Amino acid sequence: MTSAGKTAKTQMVALLMAGLGLGGLVVAMLKEPLWGYTNFLVCAFFFVTLAAGGLVLLALNTVAKAGWHIVLKRVFEGYAALLPMGALLILLTLVNLLSGSGSIYEWARPGVMDHDSPLYDHLLHEKVAYLNTPFYITRMLVALALWLLFSFRLRRLSLAQDKDNLLERTHQSVRWSTGFLVCFALTFSMASFDWIMGLEAHWFSTVFGMYNIAGLLSSSVAAIVLTCILLSKAGLLPEFRIPHVHDLAKLLFAFCTFWAYLWFCQFMLIWYGNLPEETIYFVRRWHGGWQPIFYLNFALNWVLPFFLLLPRPLKRNPNYVAMVALLVLLGRWVDIYLMVTPYNFSSPPIGWVEVSALLGFVGLFVFCLQRKFRKVPLISKNDPYLQESLNLH
Amino acid sequence: MSKVRTVGWFEQEAQILNATKAARKAGLKVVDVYTPYAVHGLDEAMGLKPSKLTWVCLLAALGGGGGMFSLMLYTSAIAWPLNVGGKPFVSAPAFIPVTFEAAVLSAALMSVFAFFVRSKLFPGKKVVPLERVTDDRFALELLAEPEQARHFLQAQGAVVVQEVP
Repeated sequence: MTSAGKTAKTQMVALLMAGLGLGGLVVAMLKEPLWGYTNFLVCAFFFVTLAAGGLVLLALNTVAKAGWHIVLKRVFEGYAALLPMGALLILLTLVNLLSGSGSIYEWARPGVMDHDSPLYDHLLHEKVAYLNTPFYITRMLVALALWLLFSFRLRRLSLAQDKDNLLERTHQSVRWSTGFLVCFALTFSMASFDWIMGLEAHWFSTVFGMYNIAGLLSSSVAAIVLTCILLSKAGLLPEFRIPHVHDLAKLLFAFCTFWAYLWFCQFMLIWYGNLPEETIYFVRRWHGGWQPIFYLNFALNWVLPFFLLLPRPLKRNPNYVAMVALLVLLGRWVDIYLMVTPYNFSSPPIGWVEVSALLGFVGLFVFCLQRKFRKVPLISKNDPYLQESLNLH
Repeated sequence: MSKVRTVGWFEQEAQILNATKAARKAGLKVVDVYTPYAVHGLDEAMGLKPSKLTWVCLLAALGGGGGMFSLMLYTSAIAWPLNVGGKPFVSAPAFIPVTFEAAVLSAALMSVFAFFVRSKLFPGKKVVPLERVTDDRFALELLAEPEQARHFLQAQGAVVVQEVP
């Protein structure tokens, strides 16, 4: 089969998955709002962090004036180009936030902030200056708008260089990337506080944003190495060779360990301090029905990738690295699921809603990503560092 | 004729890579290559096997980490049980940071020492380096019959060829 034929077939399968899965998820959101929207948030957050992750990795490499990654630069950009879709998905979570008593966010339910209501929660009311709908929506819009601004800018500079071959485009990219990294560190911390930590608004952890950035980095590297391997298997990215796989596998190894470091930072301080308002987060997850998921999370995101990626020859084996990347992606879903769900569910409600949400979002992601890849050449031919990447050893 | 060690000096990075590859192809024994900086691809050109130093590193990390963990376990739970904040005597999370640090420290130190031992480096040792290989030239050292080595090196573009004791 020609590569165009293969692409068309993948598109069909992805679209079918998206249709079936999202259809099921919509039914769930109508019939079981709490369960359905929980899964919608998990997958939407996963989607938007993968998209933003592409932009973060692109910006990191651009700021470092790295050359190794240029043959995969368009893959990073393809991920970043999914940000509008990711932003739309995140905006859709507002439907639930504004739906009143069905909201997955306790602070947004009617009566919680009202002195005379039986649902009144004094601790949450103390935070009303931050946790109120207008301010929440403003913060969300600001964060998403900034990410989109930077992603459009960097994409335009890269595509413009294809046409005019100006070195100045690279210099401009470095400046915009620097701005993006500073802006993203702040806005993404805020976003993970708002969208995820806000579900359990009594609880707080200052390292939560950093922890999510670590998860974003490891899962994005996993997704990108998987994408590159699949693209090169389909013959669409012949410049992608074993040294690139090796470098990405090393990054995956490092970021998984970074994730474990931050996971432990958060866990250790809370466990050691043993203050009830902090430990409640881990009591909910470490005991009872959530316990297997708690251990699974740590195993998938660190123990397995760490030991599987230790030997050098294995890091240079594309099929093997692709398998490990899949494990890490599954681990990231488990991680987000474990952050989002336990407050509203005392044991994991894993069932048809999870399956259809995952199916639908994977389909949607693959479908959108492939459209982005088809729009532009997969090699940025005028990048000054291209030769370095082609000769990567 | 007996084999001797012959060194050829080159001026370009590409030349040393090609010469090294060609020498192994021609059946000449490559003793070592000296370069002013790490040249990418040279390990493959020389046909070097993966370093065994990584095993020293792994074992030292496991030994250091495991040893430190056991020490803490023994001192705070067995030899003299310590009650810290009402936590169980065997509180693994509290031991992890020190275990991690000990693993990193012993892995790093043992790797460096193993490297010194393996390359026979010790304080006070005097080594006369080949001329200019720490500056601007690349040197290829062969073990072969002198005439053959000289011809080969000159054909590859060596600017100086010399036999060394």
